[in-house]
Amino acid sequence: MTGVDHHDQAGPADPGRRRFLKAAGLGVAIGVGSSVALRLGGVIGDDGTTPWDPDDFPPPGDARVAVLRASSYDRGLESTVADGLRAIGADVRGARVVLKPNLVEYDPGVPINTDPRLVAATSVALRRLGASSVTVAEAPGHRRDLQYVATRSGLLEALGDVDTPFIDLNTEPIRRVPLRTRYTPLTELWLPEALVEADVVISMPKMKTHHWAHVTLSLKNCFGCLPGRVYGWPKNVLHWVGIENSILDIATAVRPRYAIVDGIVGMEGNGPISGTAVDAGLLVFGDDVVATDTIASTLMGFDPESIPYLAEAGRFLGQLDRDRIADDGEGPDAVAMSFERAPTAETGGRTG
Amino acid sequence: MGDKVTASGTAHDLLRRSRNVDGGYGPRPGAPSEPEPTALTAIALDDDAARAWLVSNQRNDGSFGLVDGFVRDEAATAIAALALAAGHVQERALDHLEALEAERVPFSEAIPQDGSITGWPWTDDTFGWVEPTSRATLALKRFRPGSPRIEQGVALLRDRRSVGGGWNYGNRLVLGEELPPFAHTTAIAVLALHGLDDDLEREGSERLRSLWREERDGPISLALSRAAFTAVGDDDEVRAVERALDDVVHGSDLLADTVTAAWIAIVTGDGLRRILP
Repeated sequence: MTGVDHHDQAGPADPGRRRFLKAAGLGVAIGVGSSVALRLGGVIGDDGTTPWDPDDFPPPGDARVAVLRASSYDRGLESTVADGLRAIGADVRGARVVLKPNLVEYDPGVPINTDPRLVAATSVALRRLGASSVTVAEAPGHRRDLQYVATRSGLLEALGDVDTPFIDLNTEPIRRVPLRTRYTPLTELWLPEALVEADVVISMPKMKTHHWAHVTLSLKNCFGCLPGRVYGWPKNVLHWVGIENSILDIATAVRPRYAIVDGIVGMEGNGPISGTAVDAGLLVFGDDVVATDTIASTLMGFDPESIPYLAEAGRFLGQLDRDRIADDGEGPDAVAMSFERAPTAETGGRTG
Repeated sequence: MGDKVTASGTAHDLLRRSRNVDGGYGPRPGAPSEPEPTALTAIALDDDAARAWLVSNQRNDGSFGLVDGFVRDEAATAIAALALAAGHVQERALDHLEALEAERVPFSEAIPQDGSITGWPWTDDTFGWVEPTSRATLALKRFRPGSPRIEQGVALLRDRRSVGGGWNYGNRLVLGEELPPFAHTTAIAVLALHGLDDDLEREGSERLRSLWREERDGPISLALSRAAFTAVGDDDEVRAVERALDDVVHGSDLLADTVTAAWIAIVTGDGLRRILP
């Protein structure tokens, strides 16, 4: 038995592949990476087709999102999380649940990662709600030394305290998963079996601005599902084919069932790793990742329809229409915030 | 009272559990064999069965990788070249490595890097990064010391070093923000530069002295730091890192990562002799 899969000899000599990457590279795409222009419906749809099969993606239905106040990570968090999950009607009874936090980097005092205390509290809450197992899994994009980040961030200790296993998605056996959308030319993804076999995947991002993707929430968080041993550290090929295109293809392959956004302390400015803390004091729960990101970005002070990948996701993957998102809890209008935008290449590094 | 748990003992135990009946090693125990953990373990244990697995899993173009579709990973080729016995298979791997060039990206205000320098990518037809470039430079330095590509590897490392020294994955400045170095990537860059650029090597190893202490919870960072200090002949740092490595591995399962275990076995055994000239 071998883990090597040379199923397709299309390699560097493949002219179509090279042509795409060369063209993409002109716009591109380095490191924390800029992106090529989003090749969304405007381009792909010019010939009347869509990058998804309508039979596979029926029009998005009504969604439920709950915005709950949570002033700190210290007290009563399990109850708050359980309340949030109940508010969105999350059904995890008997389910094998994988929590995918956003674990990127460690920098003391900078709220880069989904707080480990929230991840641990969520594990406890899910088991109380009947989940048969809860596993936390991640494949950070910058750091190969995951034990360093997972230890120093406090995640391993927090999970140990609540008897929750952690899986390094970089070393998990992988499976070839054909893409269900065609925003990139990837055609397939190599996904860890732990994710493919899970009954329920929950995306647990930090509420942050992002200097190439505007915001990084439930959809963008799915980048961390892909193993570095295939895609690298950083996962640069995903930048070359377009970060926003990749977000859509990856999210539709991973298909998180629920989302929980850590907005107790968020990040504004030069996210995803160099921004500054925002004491937002909120948790956002959703049964639809697009709806969750719609509400979360609204809370941050952004127009969801101005975020290209989110607007596109609203065409087929989830609900972008506020009128069709049932707001439980505080509701997005109860908390007016204005996160500072991340700098972009267009602003030459200046924020604002 | 039982024997003291050492990093070496823990690493060798994990490697034993990661070995498959086909002679190769998986990325974790119970996983199918893959090129990178197999190549690193071949170096660590001088394992001929692992080498045989590599020989039978070389791609047609001489490279070694895990998947081969639109995404075609390349990072194992340099390590495999270091692991293989001299001969045709190794020569084909080195040929591939010499021919493999990362894409260039023009200098921009957002990412001010020298667009004329090519290095080695993680996956085909993408940008060059510190770790794969360091690996390729190590392999060429060991077996093809006259290769003109070696200077390109050094040039990339010179261009990408962080402000104040050291390396992260490969971005010095992004959107006006100085990005800090990591121990892991700084260590492998120092290994690559050893004997090629004394000033850069010295600057990197100086920075590494503080970095590994800041990142002492990371076993792969410590293992590579120990390798770098061994290369530069800093015995005090070698001993200090080794103590830290034993401490961090104590009670740890290394997240079941065979690659981490293999690096620990390499640096605590005699595997470095197979990597450095």
